[in-house]
Parts: sequence; C-alpha cells; structure tokens
Amino acid sequence: MKFPIFRSSLVAMASLLPLSLLALITFLTIYSWPAIQYNQFHFLWTNDWDLGNLYGDPVMEHGFQVMPHARYGIWFLIVGTVASSFIAMVLALPLAIGAAVLLAEGMRKSRAAPLSLFVDLLASIPSVVYGLWGYAVLVPLLGQHVYPAMAHALSFVPFFGGAPGSGYGLLTASLVLTIMIVPLISATLRESINMTDPALKEAGRSLGLSRLEVFWHVVLPKLRTVVIGVSILALGRALGETMAVLMVSGNALNYLPNNIYTPISSMAAFIASQLDSALQDPTNMAVQALSEIALVLLLIAVAVNVIARLILWMARVR
Amino acid sequence: MLFRMKKNLSRNINGIALLSALGLSAFAAMPASAAPISLLETGSTLLYPLFNLWVPVYTKMNPGVQITTQGTGSGTGIAEAISGVAQIGASDAYMSDAQIKMHPNILNIPLAISIQMINYNLPGLNNVHLKLSGPVLAGIYNGTITNWDDAAIAKLNPGVKLPNHKIIPIHRTDGSGDTFIFTTYLSDTTPVWSKNIGYSTTVSWPAVPGGIGAEGNPGMVQALKTTPYGVAYIGISWKKPVEEAHLGLAMLENRAGQFVLPTVANAKAAAGEMVAKTPADERISLVYAPGAKSYPIINYEYAIVSKTQPNAQVAAELRKFLNWSIDLKGGNAPHFIEAVNFVPLPDSAVALSRKQIAEIQ
Repeated sequence: MKFPIFRSSLVAMASLLPLSLLALITFLTIYSWPAIQYNQFHFLWTNDWDLGNLYGDPVMEHGFQVMPHARYGIWFLIVGTVASSFIAMVLALPLAIGAAVLLAEGMRKSRAAPLSLFVDLLASIPSVVYGLWGYAVLVPLLGQHVYPAMAHALSFVPFFGGAPGSGYGLLTASLVLTIMIVPLISATLRESINMTDPALKEAGRSLGLSRLEVFWHVVLPKLRTVVIGVSILALGRALGETMAVLMVSGNALNYLPNNIYTPISSMAAFIASQLDSALQDPTNMAVQALSEIALVLLLIAVAVNVIARLILWMARVR
Repeated sequence: MLFRMKKNLSRNINGIALLSALGLSAFAAMPASAAPISLLETGSTLLYPLFNLWVPVYTKMNPGVQITTQGTGSGTGIAEAISGVAQIGASDAYMSDAQIKMHPNILNIPLAISIQMINYNLPGLNNVHLKLSGPVLAGIYNGTITNWDDAAIAKLNPGVKLPNHKIIPIHRTDGSGDTFIFTTYLSDTTPVWSKNIGYSTTVSWPAVPGGIGAEGNPGMVQALKTTPYGVAYIGISWKKPVEEAHLGLAMLENRAGQFVLPTVANAKAAAGEMVAKTPADERISLVYAPGAKSYPIINYEYAIVSKTQPNAQVAAELRKFLNWSIDLKGGNAPHFIEAVNFVPLPDSAVALSRKQIAEIQ
C-alpha cells in the first residue's frame, strides 16, 4: 500500500495549530506553576502588585522563596484590559459598519476603490505607530482641551464627570484601540457586503424598499455571523495590544479607574513594561508571576472565542 | 534551571536587538582589515547621553573596537550584563546583596557621579525654585499630600502663591536607577516610606488617583511637559530638554536642613562627604549626605560588568575602554562630564574602579 503523503502532511499541518495553542497553555502553566501556588486565587481579585524589597534577602513564605513583602494581585490589570477593549468595541462597531456600508453601497465604485485601499492600508499599520501618534498628538490635545470640557459638560453622567486627568488614561487608550480596529472590521465587512447576492438586493428594491431598508432588512441579517466573527478578531487584537496601550494608558499601578479619564494599565502592556524589573528578582518569582498574567490573558482570549462560537451557534440554531 | 530559564527569557527578548546590533557592527566593519571587537552597552537612560558622547570619540581613536549603545533602563542593563547579552550594563543602581550572592562574578564599577532633579510643571510658577523636602515628596507620592496648596508645601514656601490643584505624581514604570535613588532619598528621610515601601529599582507605588507611569528619562520629560500640575524625578543629564520645556526645578532639603539646588558645586560637596566611605566593591548609596551645601540625591553611575568575558580580546578591549572612560584625560574630561552636568569621579573612587576593572578576564 502506498503511504498517503499528501493526506498525512495535511493532517500534520492542520493539527500543528491546535497543538501549538495547547503547548503554549501547557508551557505557561508549568513555568508559572510556583507563582500560581504562591498567589492562589487572590492573584485575580486583589489590587496589589509588589515585587517586594529587591534589596533585601529572600525569605521563605508558604514554602516558596520570595523577596520580603512580595505580593502579586492583578485585578486592576484585568479591569483595565477589559474596560479599554470593551469601550473600543462599543465605539468601533458603529463606525466600522458605517464605513463599510458607505464604501460598499453608498458611493460609486470609481470613488470607493481608492478609499477602500486606504482603509485596507490603515488595517496593516503597526500598532506602535498608532501608539506614537496617540502619545504625541492625542494625549496633549485631549488632556488639555477636550477632557476638561467633557468632564465639565458631562459631570452628571456616571464615570464621565470628576477629575479630567492629564490625557493619559482609559478613554485615550480606548480611542487609540478604536482607531486601530475600525479599519480591521470595516475592511472585512465591506468585502462581505460586496459579496451579498445582488438578486436579493434587487428583489428588495423591487418591493419598494429604500436603500437603507434593503441594507437593514436584507444585507445586515446575512452579515450577522461575519460581524460577530470579525468583532472577535478585533476584540482579540484590542485585548492583546501592547505598545499602543503602554504609550497612552498612563500605566496605573494598583488602583482602579474611578472615571473614564483615569490612568489604567493592561495585562499585555504591564508584562512588557515590568519584565526588566521582574528580572531583578533573584528568586525568579516575579517573572513567574508575569507569566501567570500571560496565562490569564491567554485564557481570557480563549474564553472570548468560545463565547463568540456559542453566540454564532445559537444564531444558526434559531 | 530557573536561572537558565530566566537567562533564556531575557536572551530571547533581546535577541532581535542583539542580532541587529551585531549585524550593523559587522556591516560597518567591512572596510577594516582586522575584524573589530564588538561591545554592547545597554541600560540606564541617565548614563545613555554620556555614552553617546563617549563612543564616537573613543571608536575614532580605537578603530579596532565597535561599541553599540542602548538606553533601556538600569533594570535591563543589570539583567543583560548578568546574562552576557551585553558586555556593559549601565545602571544608576548598584546590585543588591542577594543578586551579588547569586552572581558573584559581576562587578559594579562607578564611571562618574550623577545628580537627580525634582521637576514640576506649575503654570506660572516654573520660574520659581520651590522648596521641597523628603517627607513632602513622600507625602505626594504616597497620596497623603494631594494638593499643591497643602499646608506642608506652603510651610516650606512662604510667600509663594500655590495653586489649589491636584498634584499628579509621575513615576518610572521600567526598572530604573532613578527610581532607586529617589526612593532611597524618601526612605532615608521618611520612616513611614521606609517601612511601607522602601527603596528599589521598582517599588510598589502607592495608589495615587491620577498618578502616571512613564518609560525612561525621556518619557518622564515628555510626560511632565504634557501634564500641568505634575511632579517628576529626572536625571541631570536631561537638564537641557527640561530647561527647554520651561519646567520648574525644586530645591531639596538636605540632612543639615538646608534647601539646595542640584548644581555641580552642591553635588561635589555631597560627594566629598561620602566618597571616602566607598567600600572595595563600590556598592554604596551617596544619597542624603551630611554637610550644609550637600545636594541630597547624587549617585555613582555604574558599569555592571562580568569578570569573565567570552575571550581575552573582548576582556582586553573592555578593560581599555573602561579605564579610558574614568580617566580625567579620557571619558571623565570636563568637556564630556560638563555636557551632561555630571560630577567627575573623585581620585579615590577612580583608584577603586581601576582595581575592579583589572579583575575583568
């Protein structure tokens, strides 16, 4: 019998992807295992990240060698990560859908083509460029002019009043994330709108529906799965965004935002900014705690994906 | 095992930087006949401007050596000198006893003395040198002093009309020697800070609503520039951009109870009190020196170097460069040191540093 080379190589390549995810989770779990045992569950819901006295002598605590007073709690990072990504999604979805509809349906092909090219280009700009722009342009502009006015005008709305801060913070991070993910969502959506069966649209128009009504009742329901799918991709990018958030978030440590202008930090940005400090810890517990953050971030990303699949599945069943 | 993992981690992360550094130096070296020795310096952003003045001059005199410089923060400097990625780890902080115990072949070699400024961005008051003390700064950074017109600040500055505005303390997020010397000053002056937070290249900053973290000295300058009512600690080698941004410069209270500016003369006065106490391994804090003129936050700028280098040529070039850098006719010459507002290494410290440099093999 001939060995099925093509088939087996396909199987090998296809199983590489799920295996690499499993390998990543396994590696992170093994590497951060001492930290997981030392931190237990309050790791997740305390606001207390302290590498301890790095110039002291290591002490034994609960059977682990750590620096004196070392404690690791990342609730503020979880909140910062989820809040900034959530706000970014809320802002980005309507913008992205609007842009996609405009480019696909609202203008002549000859004009839409070059604009579409721009949107596609925007989707491929490295995030550090957005971060730099946010740092140099958005932060001073928002912090000195926009936020004080906003906080004053919206002082009665919860989370929108109070101290306007300095421009580094939750809303700025969310805005930079929004600008990053809008092109990502709208580029995919535009393609799907273009691919909707023209016969369906023409049928709608012949029944006397306006263009908006055709879009709302005919095109959009077809796009539901695409919208959810691409939103998850975008959310994944926002949750894991490192540099751009690091540059504009204000890098808050150990406290929760009390309004949308407050500095925050995200898990990804924190890992990047704290690694060199963690390497100073001679017991290595700090680096293991950082990889525990990476593990939590990975699990959140997996959970988001699973939830999205569930939503898709339920949408299909109904 | 743990150590190897740690080593690998830092190696991987900096692998790209290293590769590009090696690639660049290899490329630049093409025309020379003998392959030049390549040295990598990384770490302190406070020492970075001085290395950038040194390296072009030194490599012009010594075409047989290529030196790449990077401003990545003292924490990275120490970590990469230990892992062997960098030959010179620049740091404003010396290594802890526990670190030395783990890595006994790492030397802490002072190259110069630096000064730290406390700067602020107070619209209308940046031309006034506000008087600040250790306990007041500790209060600002631990959130017990929240407003600029707080009685504790007003008491130190009679006659200055302080604004009724929230203070925004700015700290470093990266592992930083500036954080180390700043928190040493707070610990030396304020028992409650010493007890709850202490000193290190990274500390668990108390949660002050609105407080900002910034990356590196350039990040501190930029953050303070764009943050009215902010306060920040910044290395003296960044004095020029601070002055260009018209930010305020504080007078600090020293051990004798006098308020002094971070001038070279005041730093020399402080160094004069402390340098004689330097031990053979030169790991000592120069912060909060006695003496009426002494500026309280000064420190040795260290080259963190491994005693054991990959080969004899690298070791020889490294010794040669380090010996040149601390020489009064070499790297400690006035035109270098004055350009970054540092203080040259005093003779007794030069002798100790030379002894340590001789140990590099």
